[in-house]
Amino acid sequence: MDIDAILRWLEASALATRIRDSLYIFPFLESIHVIGLALVFGTIGIVDLRLLGVASTARPFKRMASDILKWTWIAFALTALTGSLMFITNAGVYYHNFYFRAKMALLVLAAINMLSFELTLGRSVHRWDKATAAPPAGRTVAVLSLVIWISVIFAGRLIGFTTSRAKEVAPTPADLNLEELFQAAPAESGTTAPSQKK
Amino acid sequence: MKQFAEWLSTTFLSVFIQNHNSWAIPTIQSIHIVGIAIVLGSVFMIDLRLLGWAGMDQTLRQTTNRFGPWLMGALWLMLATGILMVIGEPVRELMTFSFWLKMFLVAVGTVIAAVFQRKVRKHQGDPVVSGPLKSLAVLTFLIWACIIILGRLIAYDHIWGSWSPAAKS
Repeated sequence: MDIDAILRWLEASALATRIRDSLYIFPFLESIHVIGLALVFGTIGIVDLRLLGVASTARPFKRMASDILKWTWIAFALTALTGSLMFITNAGVYYHNFYFRAKMALLVLAAINMLSFELTLGRSVHRWDKATAAPPAGRTVAVLSLVIWISVIFAGRLIGFTTSRAKEVAPTPADLNLEELFQAAPAESGTTAPSQKK
Repeated sequence: MKQFAEWLSTTFLSVFIQNHNSWAIPTIQSIHIVGIAIVLGSVFMIDLRLLGWAGMDQTLRQTTNRFGPWLMGALWLMLATGILMVIGEPVRELMTFSFWLKMFLVAVGTVIAAVFQRKVRKHQGDPVVSGPLKSLAVLTFLIWACIIILGRLIAYDHIWGSWSPAAKS
């Protein structure tokens, strides 16, 4: 399997073309992505602070986690969907972008962190459910979770700042040049635009 | 406004941010997004409680006591990072329709949140969640969602066509 061929195929797909050709769809996707990630991090943060014993300490952990985390998953699905749609519009550039890769790696770390919690402390939750804070391992998971998700946000924002520049620098096949220039339309033009950024 | 924006862009702090924009702007924006997550997360939890969709083991008062201070604290963080972004890129921010519509909605959203929290705190016992209050929950969530969308649209102000001040200048 040639990854570059897949990326080119994604970029050339009708869906990606439709998004690129529209003035409104890309900004709309970005906005929904921000709303989704705000809910993902906002709700995860609430659970992490409970584990740390910083807030919501009077609420039993299990009740609270089952109450909140279903919304986290709904928000994550929304974020992943809008993220994927943005990815296909410029798949080659995103795929080779350092911050995009870092963000994907961080998401994997977040998943491992969460799984390690579910498989260990998650199973003995009845023993510390009503305690003010989780046992040390749980507090470590919570700190890691907060650090990883904040890093995900930083990496995500940096993708926008580094991909439009990559578009200029990256040598593009001659036959694609014109199209790419026009399709770069969603690039954010500040009124003065001293620097290219997303 | 254009003159003010241009003057602002010559100030010391603005020049500093412009000269370090490769890291300063993304960093400030990322902190702003972390703030968005705290604000929207807090509004979301209070609204879910009002709608009866989450947190029903807690009273409304307990819920607003838990999330109200975080909501207000994060709004101050948003204000601080927001001001830094305006100082760093005055023309890009101030000369847009999206920015001013956003500021209007931020004022509306903040007033609703403050008045609501004060009402709950003053109320003897736990207020009964009525129909209008549930509508308010949906409305406030939509207001904050629109604020987020408009924040993103500052970068795409041309979609407003002639409503964008940039189109006239």
